[in-house]
Amino acid sequence: MTSLAEIFQRSVRFAPVVAIAGIALLIPGCTKSIPSSEQLSPLTPSSTDANAGSWKMVVLTGPTQISVAVPAPATDPGYQTELTSIVNEQSHLTDSEREAITFWSASGVLRWNELLREMVAANDLPPEPLANGTYPSPDPNNPFDMPTYPFSNPPYAVRAYSYVTVAQYDALKVAWYYKFLYNRAQPYQNNSKIKLLMPVTGLPSYPSEDAVEAGVNSTLLAKLFPTGIDQINNEANEQQEAVLLSGKASASDWTAGFALGQAVANIFLTRANSDGMKAAAGNAAEWAQLAQNAINQGQIPWISQENPARPPMLPLFGQVETWILPQSQVAVVRPGPPPSTSSPQMQQELATVKSAVENITRDQLATVYKWNDGANSVTPPGHWNAIAVPYISKAQFSEVRAARTLALLNMAMHDAGITCWDTKYAYFNPRPSQLDPSIKVLIPLPNFPAYVSGHSDFSASASDVLDYIFPTDASYFDAQAQEAAMSRLYGGIHYPSDIKYGLIQGKQVADFTVTFAQSDGAN
Amino acid sequence: MSNGSPRMRLPAPSSERHRLSRFAAKILKPATKWCLAGVFVFAAILPGLRAQTIEDGIMVNKSAICTGTLYTHDAWDHYWEGTYNRTNGNLGTVTTQTMDFTANYGVFKRLDVIGIVPLVWTEASKGVLHGQGGFQDLTLAAKYELIRWRLKEFGTVRFFPVVSGSVPLTNYEPDFQPMSIGLHAKTIAPRATLNFQGLGGLYVNGSAAYVIRGNVTLDRNYYYTNGQLYLSNQVAMPNQFDYVVSAGYRAHGVMFVGNFEEQQTRGGGDIRPQDLPFVSNRMNFKKAGASAVVPIPLHLFRGLQYWFTYSDTFDGRNVGESTTFTSGLMYQVQLHGRHAQ
Repeated sequence: MTSLAEIFQRSVRFAPVVAIAGIALLIPGCTKSIPSSEQLSPLTPSSTDANAGSWKMVVLTGPTQISVAVPAPATDPGYQTELTSIVNEQSHLTDSEREAITFWSASGVLRWNELLREMVAANDLPPEPLANGTYPSPDPNNPFDMPTYPFSNPPYAVRAYSYVTVAQYDALKVAWYYKFLYNRAQPYQNNSKIKLLMPVTGLPSYPSEDAVEAGVNSTLLAKLFPTGIDQINNEANEQQEAVLLSGKASASDWTAGFALGQAVANIFLTRANSDGMKAAAGNAAEWAQLAQNAINQGQIPWISQENPARPPMLPLFGQVETWILPQSQVAVVRPGPPPSTSSPQMQQELATVKSAVENITRDQLATVYKWNDGANSVTPPGHWNAIAVPYISKAQFSEVRAARTLALLNMAMHDAGITCWDTKYAYFNPRPSQLDPSIKVLIPLPNFPAYVSGHSDFSASASDVLDYIFPTDASYFDAQAQEAAMSRLYGGIHYPSDIKYGLIQGKQVADFTVTFAQSDGAN
Repeated sequence: MSNGSPRMRLPAPSSERHRLSRFAAKILKPATKWCLAGVFVFAAILPGLRAQTIEDGIMVNKSAICTGTLYTHDAWDHYWEGTYNRTNGNLGTVTTQTMDFTANYGVFKRLDVIGIVPLVWTEASKGVLHGQGGFQDLTLAAKYELIRWRLKEFGTVRFFPVVSGSVPLTNYEPDFQPMSIGLHAKTIAPRATLNFQGLGGLYVNGSAAYVIRGNVTLDRNYYYTNGQLYLSNQVAMPNQFDYVVSAGYRAHGVMFVGNFEEQQTRGGGDIRPQDLPFVSNRMNFKKAGASAVVPIPLHLFRGLQYWFTYSDTFDGRNVGESTTFTSGLMYQVQLHGRHAQ
């Protein structure tokens, strides 16, 4: 007979086998599919925002700056043909068409924001050095050549986010004006054979708001991210197909809306051509002057710690045109100088950075990588767009109000980015790892001066706007901004002063946008 | 029944040791040439003491345990960004050092279980990136000798089904490649090994595995890879196929083997230009090298042996063009008397 001790002894021998079987059970049998689009519920707007045609414009002078022709009456034979074609198309919908209808039911504004973030990430790669140690510049005239155009670093990205969302916001206000001026009913209301396959919006259909979104976004994205042209056009075509099949808009609703979107986009492109961005990279003489300015102030100037040394990122971005903040205020909100590179306070801040990196906790490390947003990312402004999206979706904002939220958010971040870059290059302050080479960093080191922190500036401006739009969630947004800012200290790339004054500046700048929003007619 | 004490082996006659050291001296000079070629290094083994890894066709005795510590030094200054071979001034040479604490236990005569606990630390010789360190992934494997086919006058063919798996031991950060100490994926790998041990000393071993990898969880909620933005903290890890073949001479306590290894990742994106690697990159490589095991003739520790392995990565994609050597001591003891069988 086997003794109990023997049974125990044998089972101990099997322990490793049992352990391996355990590991096997922990592995999912098949790979989980990873979502590549936002899981958003269909949009049934809580309000039509019927007066949005009178809300304050940002760039346009007013809704009638864009003319939209009177639509044909419901009895018009041409319009009747459009409706009949919807009836025919709805009779044989494919699965992929139904999927597209569901996808675009969630909000075109939020769907296009997803693509915008994807375009930023796809283009967020610094050029590789040449064999001679220099860096080639992306060429807008040959965007597909290496290095591809653009390098959508944070300043490029925040400007792109703001142009697209502000143009979309102004264009949708024009659309709302004409919708309620002409009051054309939606196709399903004009023909009982047409089913409405998207949620009820209660909006007049001419011009189509979806078409306005497609027109604005496809026109601007194609200019800002030219290598994404196929994906951009596919997106516009898919939205058009889904909306026309849904019974929400007819072909003439679409055509008028798309043309309106394009017209507004072109006005913004004209602005973009002369907003100072083309000169933002500066030249070798200007880079040398920035270093000399710091030396003249008795400071150690910033130097690139990349190997080979890379020119500083867009040093003249601080001179690019702002949206809401008066241009004259850029220098006004510039904080005083950082601690002198030779001061005891700087030594103390260096010690704080080093201690933060060397004694980092796992939670702090998670924060560093959550907020890394470095190369190949949507950048910090894109991260804040992603934070805003579920709140906009949950609030079931109308498309024009969703566009307003994103426009306010990105205008504030753009203006904060400009003041941040102005400050960075006014002081040309070295990174901690330059002053103390024993400091090693946990994320790739951004190639521009330290003071003030971009993450802090962007995040404080973003949370300030989101606090205003979603006051009940303000503590969450504030906590996210604090976390984003502190992640840069934990990662070893910013001093406490960079963070403190970056947060102050971001809020200061965004308050101008909040003031604009308080009297824009949307409240 | 077991007495729990290590089974001490009789000391080898000194003449045998002299014969072995003469032999070792003979093979050392050519070994440098083989190192250069990156193909062959030779191994010497005492009778009764056997090298055992997850991939080879060598077993420990029932109730014996072979345990030890191996140090691995892996370094590269060139790497493949996709298929483009380059250097990076912000990394210089990336060195990964590993201490493997390993144990191989003979559960039955035909079943071994192997466990490995690696302590890993990384550093880059240039740039400002911080090295990482810590315990990486526990690997456990079960190796079963299913078929033993004795060929008269030739030798023995053995076939082993093997299953191995790994789980991260710590919550190390996987999103800081190439400084991260690992990928932080759970894996399970069915493997098949075919081994021929010739009576005249010819030794041939082939082993292939399909590595199924679980999702990796990042500390961020989105990432861009393989031409697409993913809105999730979960990264689907493409599975991998790998095989290793070894051939050489093993008889009368002497073994010479050269190794060739290939890993193919069945999907995943390339490293983007001037970007850092990403966990789910398509990491492929071909390596060639060899292994040596040398007995340490200490009377107090009769089961002690010295291991050395060298390998050179000569082709790859999204991996370092690394040169790797492993060095360490293994100690084999019999935990229970053989009469218990």
